[in-house]
Amino acid sequence: MQTNPNVKSPGVGSRTLVKNNKYQLIFRSQWFLLLLAEFLIAIITGIVNPRFFTVSNIINVLEQIAVLGIVSSGMTLLIISGEIDISVGANIGLSSCVMAIMIKSGLGVFPSFVIGIALAIFSSFLVGLTAHTFKAPSFITSLAFISVFQGIALAITKGSFQTIYGQAETIGMTRLGNVLPLSFVISLGAYLVVHFILAYTKFGRRIYSVGSNPAAAYLSGISVIKTKYYAFLFSGFFVGIGSMVLLSRIGAAQPSTGSGIELKAIGAVVIGGTPLSGGKGRIIGTLLGVLLMGIISNALNMMRVNPYYQQVTFGLLIIASLAMSIFSSYKGHARSGKSTKKAIE
Amino acid sequence: MENNHLLVSLQNITKIYGIHKVLDNVSFDLRKGEIHCLVGENGAGKSTLIKILSGAISTESGELYITGKKITSMTPRKAIELGISTVYQDAELVESLTVTDNIFLGDEKSASLPFIVDKKIQFQKAQEIINTLHMNLPVDSLVEELSVSQKQMLEIVKALYRDSKIIIMDEPTSSLGLEEKKALMKIIQNLKQRGIGIIYISHYLEEIFMIGDRVTILKDGKLVNTYDVASVDIETVIQGMVGREASAFYHRKKIPLGPVQVQVQNLSKKGVLHPVNFEIKKGEILGIGGLVGAGRSELVGLIFGIQQPDSGKIIINGKEAVIHNPRDAIRAGIGLITEDRRKLGLFIGRNLIENMALVHNDVFKGFIVDRDEEKELSNLMVEELSIATSDINQLVEELSGGNQQKVVIARWLLDDATLCIFDEPTKGVDIGAKQQIYELIVKLAEKGKSIIMVSSDMPELLSLSDRIVVMRDNRVVEILDNHQIKEEDLIKKFMGVEEKGEKTNADKP
Repeated sequence: MQTNPNVKSPGVGSRTLVKNNKYQLIFRSQWFLLLLAEFLIAIITGIVNPRFFTVSNIINVLEQIAVLGIVSSGMTLLIISGEIDISVGANIGLSSCVMAIMIKSGLGVFPSFVIGIALAIFSSFLVGLTAHTFKAPSFITSLAFISVFQGIALAITKGSFQTIYGQAETIGMTRLGNVLPLSFVISLGAYLVVHFILAYTKFGRRIYSVGSNPAAAYLSGISVIKTKYYAFLFSGFFVGIGSMVLLSRIGAAQPSTGSGIELKAIGAVVIGGTPLSGGKGRIIGTLLGVLLMGIISNALNMMRVNPYYQQVTFGLLIIASLAMSIFSSYKGHARSGKSTKKAIE
Repeated sequence: MENNHLLVSLQNITKIYGIHKVLDNVSFDLRKGEIHCLVGENGAGKSTLIKILSGAISTESGELYITGKKITSMTPRKAIELGISTVYQDAELVESLTVTDNIFLGDEKSASLPFIVDKKIQFQKAQEIINTLHMNLPVDSLVEELSVSQKQMLEIVKALYRDSKIIIMDEPTSSLGLEEKKALMKIIQNLKQRGIGIIYISHYLEEIFMIGDRVTILKDGKLVNTYDVASVDIETVIQGMVGREASAFYHRKKIPLGPVQVQVQNLSKKGVLHPVNFEIKKGEILGIGGLVGAGRSELVGLIFGIQQPDSGKIIINGKEAVIHNPRDAIRAGIGLITEDRRKLGLFIGRNLIENMALVHNDVFKGFIVDRDEEKELSNLMVEELSIATSDINQLVEELSGGNQQKVVIARWLLDDATLCIFDEPTKGVDIGAKQQIYELIVKLAEKGKSIIMVSSDMPELLSLSDRIVVMRDNRVVEILDNHQIKEEDLIKKFMGVEEKGEKTNADKP
């Protein structure tokens, strides 16, 4: 096929674009900024309170962010596919209560965990199923399910603590080589699984395509609904694993266990550069987002900030990350030739 | 300088999209109490002209006068203030509000208390306007309960309420029945008598001869001529709409056709498509032509499983294809290159590899993606289609329109379909890339694929197709051998204009 003179000009244009890209890619990628922020916060905190850099504190941070990391991994899949689940906290509450009740009743730790995880998967699936069946955004259906899950948990526990101290501590308390918390290793596993799915499997490609352009995905022969259901199932699975790790570490469960983690998880994903509109994002971003959450939380503790203000900080952090992603998407518009002004109008 | 009795005067308007001149030095004017018709093929520039007048887009050069005053920068808001209203095909109304509420939207009448809407006065005023036009439009019903024609009438009422002097009508009759059409014509006459100027766009040339005072013909963004309707005949108008220089046509290589490869038998869906029958041979390019709304996209949708037909069969290589969704269609060996790249084709935010290899990986491969293979295939496609990109990892939105189209085509080349359906393959693509896409389509035919090409571009249809299916009013009217068909004959068939003395097959049920 002969080349046409008309083809050359866009070629030249794209070459200059790429040159800019190399710098832009690094500076624009949210994870680079995240890493920078994390270093800065760590150094400042370390100067204020040298105890920050002690091994025991670092282990402490890793342990703290394990469950959040596991839940955020699933949330990453879900958000890239264009869905969301804000009932993951309530889901943890319900499944950890069920696990604890079963362990208390003498069913055995392993079967209890399996059943609890299955319940978490089922609960997450319900969110997706109702969203699709009633053509409602999953944001709304999951909002409704927060109430459902919490209500059931309250009913079966009669509102009381379910303690299982000393009965299932292996997962939550083990430290490999007396240093590395097993729970953190499990969260690394979750990141890896999601990375593998996103980068190497057909299912990963489907998740991206469905999140980027559902109509085009459908016309390419992809079942949009099935893909989203699978994303909910995976997210539910990770919620179940997170639930198990949390219960094992705390040794007790109550209906409010896990509440509030949904905001942190969604925040970590968004801070990590995955837009809520879906279609884009990488697990490395989520990992760093989770790490940022952990470091900030720990730093605030170290600097003895009132815990109530810590909550304020996390909220503001999520707002800041949203602002950042909006900013970068406007830049994207400008680069694709559309004026930003038009985009706003 | 300007004549004051001219409501609108557009002078030497030029509008450029990218490297396309969609309007080239066009002048147009509208007098008081005049119905000025605007005609041209799809893509001749009618809509662009209207958009400029209603302030939706700006011009590159040229001047715009409204009632003699020069307007430097037009915005939608300003257009309304100047008394310009547009009645669109798909009316832009708030469905959940009543007819009256829609009329007064943004300009509600307050009762004695502020912030409280005086419904009584609003109903009265609305009824007044509706009465003077003798319309059948209940003031208190919700807009979602109205018929299409009632919605259009409501738009006209709105325009009158706002005291518009200029009303633009874009294909107002395309979805109306005969009775509704008649009613609308009466209303238009009524508006004219009030001294309102009307710009009337329609594919139906009879209507123009029924109600028009003047007619302006556009072709490929250029002004052909403006005639008094009384002193022109339909032949002249059609002549003006067609006829191009030879350079607009592409000279393709002729390919010997093989045996019949694809058969479509009695494909139909109630209210969407009347039964359709055709066959496509190996290596054949079957063009599908017709005006906007003739049912072309519906036909494609039924073949590709986007909609379910009531009856009919699709047979590929002697085997009946059972198609419930696009996935079934792809498995049966059908590929669809969609019309709207951005909305239906591209995965924005993803790179070239993922955009090209998606169908290949998804429908025909296992659970794990073969990343080496897809890279290899992507590089092959970039080379074969000469896609101007620096890197297959580049994001697809960074490419030009023509190259984006090639990426979408590559997706289906890797899928290796038997039947490739191209829906407006070169829409919004520059001339250079156009040629390459044509070459590609012919090459695909040469490889033994059967090709369906839906196109609104007459030269494209005439220069590529082996045969042309003429569609009108949701049915296939005729299938023509593309042997020295003249453009003007083809457009006559599209529009259903009868030949003198003989009838076209149009009236066959």
